[in-house]
Amino acid sequence: MTLTLTLRAQPPARVDVSALIPERLVGLHESAVGALDLRCGGETVGVGDLFEVSGAGVEDEELVFAGDLRRFDRIGAGMSSGGIEVRGDVGAWAGAEMSGGVLRIFGDAGARLGAAYPGARVGMTGGEIVVTGDAGEEAGAGMRRGLVAVGGRTRGGAGLRMLAGTVIALGGIGAEAGLGNRRGSLVSGRPVEPLPAYAFAARFQPLALRLQLLRARSLGLAVGDALVSGMWARWSGDRTELSRGEILIFDDEGSRE
Amino acid sequence: MTGYAVGATEVADTFAEAFPMRFARVVITAATEAWALEAARSMTGFATSVIGCKCEAAIERSVMSAETPDGRPGIAVLLFAMDREGVGKRVVERVGQSVMTCPTSACFDGLPGAEGTVALGGTLRYFGDGFQASKVIAGQRFWRIPVMEGEFLVCESVGVGRGVGGGNLVIGAGDEDVALAAAQAAADAMRGDGIALPFPGGIVRSGSKVGALTSKSMPASTNHQMAPTLRAQVSDTLVPDGVGAVFEVVIDGVSEDAVREAMRRGLHAAAGAGATHVSAANFGGKLGRFHFPLSELRDPP
Repeated sequence: MTLTLTLRAQPPARVDVSALIPERLVGLHESAVGALDLRCGGETVGVGDLFEVSGAGVEDEELVFAGDLRRFDRIGAGMSSGGIEVRGDVGAWAGAEMSGGVLRIFGDAGARLGAAYPGARVGMTGGEIVVTGDAGEEAGAGMRRGLVAVGGRTRGGAGLRMLAGTVIALGGIGAEAGLGNRRGSLVSGRPVEPLPAYAFAARFQPLALRLQLLRARSLGLAVGDALVSGMWARWSGDRTELSRGEILIFDDEGSRE
Repeated sequence: MTGYAVGATEVADTFAEAFPMRFARVVITAATEAWALEAARSMTGFATSVIGCKCEAAIERSVMSAETPDGRPGIAVLLFAMDREGVGKRVVERVGQSVMTCPTSACFDGLPGAEGTVALGGTLRYFGDGFQASKVIAGQRFWRIPVMEGEFLVCESVGVGRGVGGGNLVIGAGDEDVALAAAQAAADAMRGDGIALPFPGGIVRSGSKVGALTSKSMPASTNHQMAPTLRAQVSDTLVPDGVGAVFEVVIDGVSEDAVREAMRRGLHAAAGAGATHVSAANFGGKLGRFHFPLSELRDPP
């Protein structure tokens, strides 16, 4: 039975839930999971005090969080395999420095989604994150590989200093996206003014993006057909870096969603 | 020894002799099925016999848009060679020259989870001259190779499976028209999942024997025993009385079962289309590991 953690009540301070990733919970039953400790501000609290725990950790099954988790940071951070499904909004650093697995958030995500920690050069190195709502600042910062797909908007600074990988925002990437981007792909489903360090290349149908959008759709993101089969404008940059990165902006005359 | 009859068709008491081969399946997609077919036809051209062409390849089937990785119409192609290395070289050559060059095409692995793999995009990517980029999508690496049209998308590697090459039916009738119609009916019935018919239209009119009577250096020469025009000239003719033309349908398949069932479909289709004789080619049973006795194909599919 799927391991499900349902929020009982809002915690008194922000909670770090990075310890609760599928690979660490395989084989643990609800009582063992409930007895684990989490950092809550300067204190330590039991998982069972914060969440109603049901089921057990089973390989190849998703770990489910349910509730308004905006005060819960680092959900899925550092995970390398397995899946997490969140039914609600989450706090900052969700999926930070992930290396594998799938994190699906049916709600909004806070700042630094799938990002590198302060001072670290490399963020996410693999895996997939899907957010059906919006995401905060600097989503995918420092990313080396993997996919961050957001159904809504990302706030400023998405893909900051990214090395490679893909950040998709169907509702549009915010301002100053892709600053210091080396080989990464930023994808905006809405018109956006790229940084001056990007230059327009061409309109085309990027098949790799098509596969990524279909993949995101299969993970639960609502991706319109127009985006999947439409034309995209490719802007190359950051020209102060390698200029091997790109911002793809949906540009389908006449069928814009 | 006697065979059996299917309607008015005599089926010889013999067997087809086939060999272990390795194969890859690639799925070619394009903006339209017509372009995917162009790429597939080009890729499978001049791939009739492993002796002369280094590989055997054919279109396996159309793949509906809903089944392809990119949601566009596709064609599945099977390519057979004697070993994994051979599959690797041929698939890179052929995808590089015939698929990458074809407008709007993309190329995917049609054999995920196979026991072995060979590099495809991993080698072709160098055509990108440093401008290529890779994406890992759902755990699989793809290469984006910039081309004049836009980008050619190709999977990093393709799976290689263990298949069977050289299954066959030899179909004869009183005159060429009837024999050809029967062979065509057989080829049409044999095509399907897991089957490649590498010869033109699936049919060989110049079946061969191993070696030659007149030369020690030739690897193969005409099957004089099955040539109707030589019936009165050679002492070892195998052309049955009343047969004026003979065609062979050669089958490569992804498994022994796939080949056997294709032969079953072909045999009964040929019988229904006017073949007077159905036989099979073998080398005395000493060369090939797989034997397909026609006696096992008596029950219709």
